[in-house]
Amino acid sequence: MSDNLGFALEGAWKVLFAGLILGAGLPLLFALGIRSLAWGAGGEAEVHESGVGGPKAQPIGTVIGWILFAIVLAGIVLGITFVVASGFGKALSFEHIYPTIIDKH
Amino acid sequence: MTESTVILALVVITALGFDFTNGFHDTANAMATSIATNALRPKVAVALSGLLNLIGAFLSVEVALTVTNAVVKIQNSDGTPKPSLTEHGGEALLIIVLAGLVGGIVWNLLTWLLGLPSSSSHALFGGLIGASIAGLGWAGVNWNGNGSKLDGVVGKVILPAIMSPVIAGVVAAVGTWLIYRVVTGVAQRFTDNGFRWGQIGSASLVSLAHGTNDAQKTMGVITLALIATGDWTDTKNIPLWVKIACALAIALGTYLGGWRIIRTLGKGLVEIAPPQGMAAESASAAVILASSHLGFALSTTHVATGSILGSGVGKPGAQVRWKVAGRMVAAWLITLPAAAIVGAVMWFLGDLIGGLGGAILIFVLLLVAAGYMYLRSRREPVGHHNVNDEWEGAPEPERVPAGSAS
Repeated sequence: MSDNLGFALEGAWKVLFAGLILGAGLPLLFALGIRSLAWGAGGEAEVHESGVGGPKAQPIGTVIGWILFAIVLAGIVLGITFVVASGFGKALSFEHIYPTIIDKH
Repeated sequence: MTESTVILALVVITALGFDFTNGFHDTANAMATSIATNALRPKVAVALSGLLNLIGAFLSVEVALTVTNAVVKIQNSDGTPKPSLTEHGGEALLIIVLAGLVGGIVWNLLTWLLGLPSSSSHALFGGLIGASIAGLGWAGVNWNGNGSKLDGVVGKVILPAIMSPVIAGVVAAVGTWLIYRVVTGVAQRFTDNGFRWGQIGSASLVSLAHGTNDAQKTMGVITLALIATGDWTDTKNIPLWVKIACALAIALGTYLGGWRIIRTLGKGLVEIAPPQGMAAESASAAVILASSHLGFALSTTHVATGSILGSGVGKPGAQVRWKVAGRMVAAWLITLPAAAIVGAVMWFLGDLIGGLGGAILIFVLLLVAAGYMYLRSRREPVGHHNVNDEWEGAPEPERVPAGSAS
């Protein structure tokens, strides 16, 4: 029982850490992307006093927004690659910083 | 055709039946939030989830043959059945597996009728544990493993069940809180639109991961039965037809949609807005993927429920119906023992008559129980048409004895 508890707690920390990075980090980037898009679009996309036109559009916001979305998308693609790879007995390695697919040890 | 071949056929059919209930029981894990926020129309959501489960099931080529080893001792560590159970064409093993599967299905159907998201893996393990205790005694269960790694009922089932919803809940709460901080000042219509897309993406990932995780278990059980009767000998691979059958069963089940459970998770627990839905599904996907990578077995149901609760906690001013949550937790606690009792009773009944007659009796009892619960469900049907009705004030979609309904 105590052995198992130790193993479980050890695993739980790793899962929590990875979960926070991917499960809360990627949504955060996505939210920042939405915010940038709204800033880029201006007008009705942002909360402003009624009766007047909204803030001016900022084209750079649109660009930043889509860059952020691209990063999130890359994260999701990585996630799917991970599922597929582990199904075929491969694993994702971050040895070279960028992810590569390797054989499972 | 020998007696054991007929029993084997019953085991295979029952296992596929379990896989099917596993599918519709768990549609909600991925799609409840997307349906509740209207990111996807109900029909589209279940179709997408079913398709991704189908794909996911084929991606899981890793050998799942030792799936029962985590909880019971009916297999050797290389996946072959214990020799003592394979005499007389493997009948002893087949009856244990059959009784265990029936325990899992009956519990899955009952919780579905009550609209409670309970873990299908716990139901399966519970059934197998009960049938093993009945057939082999207490020593037939792998309670604690051998201390060298996370193993046994405690390590593979109980501890993850306590920890995973908490982890998922924390991740979702943090995600939700961050999202709402970031988007203050952006018009709601604008954010809702954007987050619906994020939700669809993250929910799809959960569906895919579900297919890879859960279909495997049934594939392992069927292959074990085939080896017990001598119809299959390769412990490194799973027969192609088993893979196809299991993938189709779980996908069809998912497509059918467990609307009662979708309703509870999507509307009952928390009133979900698109940003929360996306935070919840992202948390679920991340936790499921991270744990399967680290060999930390868990139930997708527990993770999804924890995430949705967390998304309610993380949103300032959101209402969480703790009463509904409490009922779910109660269902989780009794899932394993309840399925075990059904599994054990089934084994005793099967053993009483013995052989083919016993197996047929168990199978018929399963059909009767399933038929009864289906008829009960028709009294107050929940489907794609009313899945999103208001939770409060609407006629209670499920009846719970002892007045515990909120």
